[in-house]
Amino acid sequence: MNWKPNPFAIVGLAMVSAPIIAHAKIYVTVEQAQKILFPNKQLTEGPIIITDDLQERMRVASSIRHPFQGDLIWKTADGGWLIVDEVVGKHEMITYAVGLSPNGSVVGIEILEYVESYGYEVAEAQWRKQFIGKTAKDPIKLNQDIQNIGGATLSCKHITDGVKRVAVLYDLALKTK
Amino acid sequence: MMMRCQALLGTFVEITIEEGDCCAVDDAFSAIKQIQDLMGFHNPLSELNQINRWAHQVSLQVHPWTTEVLRVAQEIHKQSNGLFNCGIGHRLVAAGLLPRHIDYSEYELGGIEDIEFTGPQTLRASKPVCLDLGGIAKGFAVDKAVESLIANGIKSGCVNAGGDLRVFGETPRSIQIRNPNQPSQLIDIGSLQNGAIATSGLYFANRDQQESYFINPLAQDESEAHIQFSDSYSILAHECVYADALTKVLALSKEQDHPCFSHFEAQAIKIAA
Repeated sequence: MNWKPNPFAIVGLAMVSAPIIAHAKIYVTVEQAQKILFPNKQLTEGPIIITDDLQERMRVASSIRHPFQGDLIWKTADGGWLIVDEVVGKHEMITYAVGLSPNGSVVGIEILEYVESYGYEVAEAQWRKQFIGKTAKDPIKLNQDIQNIGGATLSCKHITDGVKRVAVLYDLALKTK
Repeated sequence: MMMRCQALLGTFVEITIEEGDCCAVDDAFSAIKQIQDLMGFHNPLSELNQINRWAHQVSLQVHPWTTEVLRVAQEIHKQSNGLFNCGIGHRLVAAGLLPRHIDYSEYELGGIEDIEFTGPQTLRASKPVCLDLGGIAKGFAVDKAVESLIANGIKSGCVNAGGDLRVFGETPRSIQIRNPNQPSQLIDIGSLQNGAIATSGLYFANRDQQESYFINPLAQDESEAHIQFSDSYSILAHECVYADALTKVLALSKEQDHPCFSHFEAQAIKIAA
């Protein structure tokens, strides 16, 4: 182990002069997630119109209020599904992809983006828009130097909730397609 | 460079590698998933819950990784004079922070010190136990993921399980720690090469108005068991399993020079709130 302490952050010192703000991380693109979850498989787009009834049932099952967008859904030739969804918590916004086998069981979940900020910013649709379609190569606000963040463990409960609503989507809309 | 993230162990696990393919990262995530399946408290069928249910009655054969993590837990328990003890699951169950699989109310429960190894991979318990590996398994999983990456020929990278992380390879990496006063702000604490750092902090639990999941194993009753603090306690060590477990010793003892740390060649960092 070789540790070179930052001279400004000596043990016990509470603050360093210029704080770095944790903002956003982009891990993989939708295309990369498709290759990770369904390697060597051809995917075709299969967007779904989410009816009010379906939206409500997904909300009840997951307790996520943020509406599900049905435009990022793909199907494999053998009946598997890939769904990209976004969950918005009080302090974070997470885009993730779920792969489902033809019988609806989860084959994998991959996080695409993790955006962390203050509650009021995350709540603004306009603010969130700046991250849509960006990749890890885009400079925007992503500070590429900030990669190894230590600290108290973050909960992934929102992802668990998100997967619950994807399961409802499969049962009510995808299974019969 | 490749950076991927999956939701595992109740948190976000990030794997970064300098060079290499997706398969190596997939294998590393699989190792973590296997640890979740073996040692998770939430899954009633995990090996951990089989130990909690049966070990005081019969001898159990367990996975080599379960043996390994329990042996490290016993070693740290001994060196910390009991400040680290995984036998606190019932406290978290009573507080509603973990699911109740078994009713322990009629038993006097033991701790990690009551686990006896009767063979290389067999164990039993001299008392009923309610072990929770939440304070050590994350670090252990980080180590196993790093080992898997190295075995797959990856030269340099980082595995970060929700803030407990280990870096490996020639490249030193700068490490930022969340400011306990304002967790969205980061403090650059320096650079680390071939080492691990883990942090205990309650700032997210406090922000979300949750009961403290930080348990003093020496507390006699429920009311004294949950510890509150607002500082951030980090440990640097060679391996993440030690870093993870030793943060509990630091947060409870509040001694940065506790003899336990030099024994494990670890270094303590406290960031005051």
